Amino acid sequence: MISSNAHSVKNAPNTALNQMGTEAFVSIRGLEKSYGPNIHVLKGLDLDMQPGDRIVVIGPSGGGKSTLLRCMMGLEEIAAGDITLGGEGYISAAPGKKGINKLNREVQKRVGMVFQHYTLFPHLTILSNLTLASVKSRGISRQEANAKAMSLLERFGLADKARAHPSQLSGGQKQRVAIARALMLSPELMLFDEVTSALDPELVNEVESVMLQLAEQKMPMMIVTHDMWFAKNIATRVVFCAGGVIVEDGTPEQVFGNPKEQRTREFLENVLHAGH
Amino acid sequence: MNYEIDFFYVLKGIDQLLEGLLVTVQLTLTSVVIGVIGGFLVCLMAMSQSRLIRLPTMAFIEVFRCTPALIQIVWIFYCVPMLFNVFLDPFVMGVLALSLNLIAFNAEAYRAAIQAIPKAHLDASIALGLTPLQTNLYVVLPQAIRLGMPVLVTNAISIFQQSALVAIVAIEDLMYMGKLLSTETYRPIETFTFVALMYFAIALPVMLLSSRLEKRYKTANS
Repeated sequence: MISSNAHSVKNAPNTALNQMGTEAFVSIRGLEKSYGPNIHVLKGLDLDMQPGDRIVVIGPSGGGKSTLLRCMMGLEEIAAGDITLGGEGYISAAPGKKGINKLNREVQKRVGMVFQHYTLFPHLTILSNLTLASVKSRGISRQEANAKAMSLLERFGLADKARAHPSQLSGGQKQRVAIARALMLSPELMLFDEVTSALDPELVNEVESVMLQLAEQKMPMMIVTHDMWFAKNIATRVVFCAGGVIVEDGTPEQVFGNPKEQRTREFLENVLHAGH
Repeated sequence: MNYEIDFFYVLKGIDQLLEGLLVTVQLTLTSVVIGVIGGFLVCLMAMSQSRLIRLPTMAFIEVFRCTPALIQIVWIFYCVPMLFNVFLDPFVMGVLALSLNLIAFNAEAYRAAIQAIPKAHLDASIALGLTPLQTNLYVVLPQAIRLGMPVLVTNAISIFQQSALVAIVAIEDLMYMGKLLSTETYRPIETFTFVALMYFAIALPVMLLSSRLEKRYKTANS
């Protein structure tokens, strides 16, 4: 932990808000990830997340945004680097042993993730989708889990769907259930990987409003999205990720209003024009 | 050709045929139960990380899938007693041959079903903190059974029909009884037509039921 802090000072230029003194909530150092010998997706990415940050990651496809989130969730073997949460290291590459990462499952459990393609389990009811992990892996009683699940579903306006199966729900409803399922485990950090990309346009809003609700409750989040309007609304920080590194990092006003880097400007011009 | 179709003698022997049908159904049901459970275990072995388990299991599967069931039955019936000096009841031998065959085909059905489960479900399971065992038990297995069901039923119906082959080793199943009756009555056309209808009358409803279930699962999962 001490060495990783020393490291973070060295890499300070990448932290936008100049909070070098305070300990980062999440700290990512030298993250490298390749698919096969030729495709290097992340090339030594550094990023610090402060408590209360809601980071939106934008950037061209193939730039490593989703891979970054997948690495943070512990879904990918990383080639180099390490990630800490609340000062505790939980994912780090084990040099020498190729492909094998050191993974602290207890810390990993404090992170929740929602994916682009809902990933609800089709054979289970909505209620069981929510309670499965609580009951089977966290040792929470079924009664308690059911009560918590019902209160979450109520909050998201889905209480009447508790007994339904995922196939009976719209895409927007499925995605809200997926968010509720992640919240069941009381994560300290939520990762959202293009959660509205697969939705019909008229369903995007209901999912984004649930995320805004979470933002109001100060849930730390990292969000990958193509929706720049939403990014402006929810982010406390915007990070432009391209070519496997963080190119630019700042407040939404800075990054959208007055980007410093040429690449960021070009990217934003392209997407904002395409959007209109 | 002035052969006159006459079912009289066949219908007189109906008791004999029903006795045979009972044996056929017993053979099939026993083999199906063994095949459904054994198939899943063999499938897990065929997907094992360890080569020592995986390779022999795959060899077993391919041998039984790529040789005629008739030879498998004859081989088990004549060669197993000679090689290993074990003498089993003919019915048990029949079940052994049929269920080994079915296990091989069901293992493949399970494997295809497991591979059809979206990989994203495994990601979601990790994100929910489920262990690999919990993921297999609560996420993979229930979906594999559902997805594999149509093929498992088709395999069961096919083993019901293959079971006619055990008549060749003198197990007194429907086919064997039919053969007896046709020689007794000199009425092969009527006898074998009737026997075929009996197989058909059992297999068709099962087939229809399964395609209905399949349709229901499909709409439920779309």
